Amino acid sequence: MSEARVWPAEADLDLGWMKQRGEWGMKATPSKQGLTLADIQIGSYGDPVDRSDNQTGRPRGAAARPNSYRIGGYAVVNKSEIWLENASFLYEEALQRQWSSATDVPWHTIKPLRDDIEQAQCQLATFLTEVEFVAGDVPARWISNTTPDYFEPRQCLLAQVMDESRHMDVFRKRALANGGGLMLTSGGTAGVVGSIDLARDFTEMSSRLHISGEGAVLTIFRMGELMAYNDAEKAIYRLCAQDEARHVAFGVMHMRYMHETAPERHEEIQCYLDEAERQILAGSQNPAGNQTDASEALAILLGGGKDKYDDGLNKLLAIRKRQVQEYIKRVRSTGFGARFDNGRSQLTEMLNQAAA
Amino acid sequence: MRFPSESWFNAVAEVFNGDESFQGGGGGACNTLMGAKVGDRNFLITFEGVECTGAREVKAAELEAADFYLDMAPADWRAMIQNIASNGHADLEYTLNTLDLDREQGLAHSVHGDQYREDLFFRYNQTLQYYFDASARVATEFGQ
Repeated sequence: MSEARVWPAEADLDLGWMKQRGEWGMKATPSKQGLTLADIQIGSYGDPVDRSDNQTGRPRGAAARPNSYRIGGYAVVNKSEIWLENASFLYEEALQRQWSSATDVPWHTIKPLRDDIEQAQCQLATFLTEVEFVAGDVPARWISNTTPDYFEPRQCLLAQVMDESRHMDVFRKRALANGGGLMLTSGGTAGVVGSIDLARDFTEMSSRLHISGEGAVLTIFRMGELMAYNDAEKAIYRLCAQDEARHVAFGVMHMRYMHETAPERHEEIQCYLDEAERQILAGSQNPAGNQTDASEALAILLGGGKDKYDDGLNKLLAIRKRQVQEYIKRVRSTGFGARFDNGRSQLTEMLNQAAA
Repeated sequence: MRFPSESWFNAVAEVFNGDESFQGGGGGACNTLMGAKVGDRNFLITFEGVECTGAREVKAAELEAADFYLDMAPADWRAMIQNIASNGHADLEYTLNTLDLDREQGLAHSVHGDQYREDLFFRYNQTLQYYFDASARVATEFGQ
């Protein structure tokens, strides 16, 4: 005989939760690239509010639970503060283009190099490891500050943190893979690079991190391919550059959204760009910019040794020019390019002087 | 297969699409319309998702539709393709990014001048490299 308790009929299960739900009857259809985030932006689920009062971690579109704790304390609750039109697309792209620093880099192709070349590679790897710490830490803070109602940009930033984590480890691996090791820290994270983390507004942070900072690092990664001495280094820089270009794209598209939707903030954003460009002009933001340990390492690598330093420096200057040209074109793409025509930016003058 | 020709780019696409290893290791989803300018001949190559969905020869003016186009003299295209054929992939001197940086005016250009779209050359660089590396498996003859 069963010992299970026999409940009276009136004690049936309370299945009230079954009636509390978001919009029902959704039938998302996979596109050619699978079932992407863009494919599930249907009905009310694809419609983020302009201002969110969600402080509880409720997934966008889910039914609210009135007794939920306010776990979030989210500071970013206005869509325009963080939004961009193609965040879902960039997120899916990030997921589908991941790589492994352990197995996708042909480490076996690294052979002993001349001492000065190895030391320069290790100095650069030390610098890049340090910089990538910042690039991972900064977006991470903004993820936890943003309401879950704007999950698309949040997920892009989550993917960026993963990318930066891989960059940190791959340059550390390079430093330790060929008879060298880590070298002198640049101190950059305590200076200009670290100051990115002082931003109290997302757009301010993004202009510093994604547009100016990562745009510069993108050029360095691309340059890395030019100064690679084996297939492993070639692959490292090429794969890092891909990731970095995606982060830059996030910044460009956010800035473009701000240009189109927040005219009241245009002047403020121009000030952020003023500040970023002062760093570009001072060259204190990236090793292609001025005379630092890392820039000397770059010149040695580009020239082919410390005895060919001047050749390397000339290549470095040419690349810096392209770095500035690309920055100008990116800012133009955001819609804030008038600064290059009305005399506000000094970068065009700098390029003209360089050409003269 | 004769280079440059629509059939050559499509033959490379077939090899590229047939090898799943090109979808990993930093390859994968790629959505762009790439142009290729070989002397006075012009091509548009479409990438959608993990596939290269086709190439067609176009008039020069139609390169405006491309997110970016790769512009090299026929002799330089030939050197790159021969390098890929002899190594099975581009060696240190012939990757797309190196060819871009080696040229004062770069390898990748656009008609529209929008850096966001030109940046797709960097964002999808590994996939584009895989695509051209796939040409190692296409028997290639050169000439107009």
